[in-house]
Amino acid sequence: MKDYLKKLINIREWDRSAKTTAIVVMAVVLLYIVLSIINVSQSEMLNNASAEVKQMVDDEKDNSRKRITITYNDFKAISYLSFTTSGAKALNEAYVGFAGKIFPADEGFWKFTGQMVNYTYRMLGIKQNFLHGVKLTLLLTTLSIVIGFFFSIFLALGKISANVIISKLSSAYIFFFRGTPLLIQLFVVYFSVPGIFGFSWRGLFDISDPEAVYKGAFIAALIAFSLNSAAYCAEIVRAAIQSIDKGQHEASKTLGLGYGQTMTHIIIPQATRRMIPPLANEFIMMIKDVSLVFAISLMDITTISKTIMTSEGSYLVFLPALVIYLIVTAIFTWIFGKMEERLSVYE
Amino acid sequence: MNKETQSNEYKYLIRTEKLCKSFGHLEVLKDVDLSVRKGEVICIIGPSGAGKSTYLRSLIHLEEITSGKIFVQDNLFLHRNHNRTVHRVPADQQKAMLLEMGMVFQRFNLFPHRTVLENLILAPILIRKKSRTDAVASAAKLIERVGLSDKTDVYPSKLSGGQQQRVAIARALAMEPEIMLFDEPTSALDPELVGEVLAVMRDLADQGMTMLCVTHEMGFAREVADRVVFMADGMILEEGEPKELFENPKHEKLKNFLKNVL
Repeated sequence: MKDYLKKLINIREWDRSAKTTAIVVMAVVLLYIVLSIINVSQSEMLNNASAEVKQMVDDEKDNSRKRITITYNDFKAISYLSFTTSGAKALNEAYVGFAGKIFPADEGFWKFTGQMVNYTYRMLGIKQNFLHGVKLTLLLTTLSIVIGFFFSIFLALGKISANVIISKLSSAYIFFFRGTPLLIQLFVVYFSVPGIFGFSWRGLFDISDPEAVYKGAFIAALIAFSLNSAAYCAEIVRAAIQSIDKGQHEASKTLGLGYGQTMTHIIIPQATRRMIPPLANEFIMMIKDVSLVFAISLMDITTISKTIMTSEGSYLVFLPALVIYLIVTAIFTWIFGKMEERLSVYE
Repeated sequence: MNKETQSNEYKYLIRTEKLCKSFGHLEVLKDVDLSVRKGEVICIIGPSGAGKSTYLRSLIHLEEITSGKIFVQDNLFLHRNHNRTVHRVPADQQKAMLLEMGMVFQRFNLFPHRTVLENLILAPILIRKKSRTDAVASAAKLIERVGLSDKTDVYPSKLSGGQQQRVAIARALAMEPEIMLFDEPTSALDPELVGEVLAVMRDLADQGMTMLCVTHEMGFAREVADRVVFMADGMILEEGEPKELFENPKHEKLKNFLKNVL
């Protein structure tokens, strides 16, 4: 850790790509700060509205029943304000505040920009719900890969075991979970299993808890994804274990280590390094597979974007969703790359 | 002191009787009888495919023999007949007896994810139940003995073949075996690296270690061995003192073999 910090402080020793990345990141952050400072405030934007809208807002000030909906999305550097009413004389007015100016966003480029800001804002969530959807995706992915990976070590050892029954059972498990769609596995866990065994997922939680439905669905999804990733990880683990030279087993045996000791001290540590690239692949696949939870109403990015699409009737809503997924996978690709580097010290 | 009394209790450290090993229909070892006394250095020479390596691997139980008897310190360790076990010592005793043998492989087989020191202390801590401090202290001595004190915290991939093999010898010695088995320890090395490994082995022999070496280094066999065994086609065809065997070979195959290698 200390060495790492030293390396980090010694900027002159950085390689070219690290320097470029650092410069780009700093430039972006600086630009963002500058744009935030010069951007227009909420009151300025409200002042900019048309007389008709202002009149309406004024009229409804003391009225509890409001016909006009005001949406204000603030990303500091860029902000979006819209007024909408429903009914016969429907009114739509929108503005984008950017770089100290206010642009009407009723058509063309600024309409598109305004929509993107609004959708992104809603997908990322506000205040206590901030990053709710992304968090759900990451939590489900990480937990199911960790649980699945742990389980997969036993599956892999089972599959290469000399015991025919254990080996066949492990192979059958892997065959089943790799050979059926994840969505159906999710349905089976969420709908069929409670049906067969006579319980409900929400019933696992306090009946007065308003979140019980979602918590129950989360547990069901976690179980389904863990069982599934165990099967995929098992093949990765098995291949990695079997790729270790036979001589390692022999040397370990002649030193008196038993099978378990050989596995834990010699084989699995070496196999781990070889597992990282395919496991990273599996992790990134899982980030995307988790989007299947829309089928059981868990609010991840996919479900949120689908909800927005239904309510707004806009086909552009999936664009920010794609970008959010890309950012998440890019971050994890980078992390796994670093892990691989770290574990390769002995090579 | 304890070791001294023990050594007087048995006549042979390792002895095999009618050892046979087949892979399917291929007979690799045919009735191999060999006895090793404590302190003896025996070199096994012979053409490739003679079963020399298989013999060593059978002794240390990396291969299951087809039939024959193996004695360790005069105690029957394993007796098999036509692929069926007639007698085998209980598992814990078997482990203890196998630990009397240290093995050095042709391809070193160091643990690449562990440093030189960690390679040496792993088994003593896990198996011999030594404390870490003790294990590190004796490992440091062994590393010095094989002349690699400056490489203690280096990963094996950073070492030359000769250095790796010296670490492998030290690792086997760290378990304090009674006998060292060498399976062609210099065959995978570049010619200029052979000398350093042989020097370590010679040093071991001088200090009275019992050694059983499969080797192609005739010079080493001639100088260091107390006894040389010539194997071909899975059988011991001739054995004797090195001088006698090299200068006055009797068996036709040995004559041919020596003509080819010398």
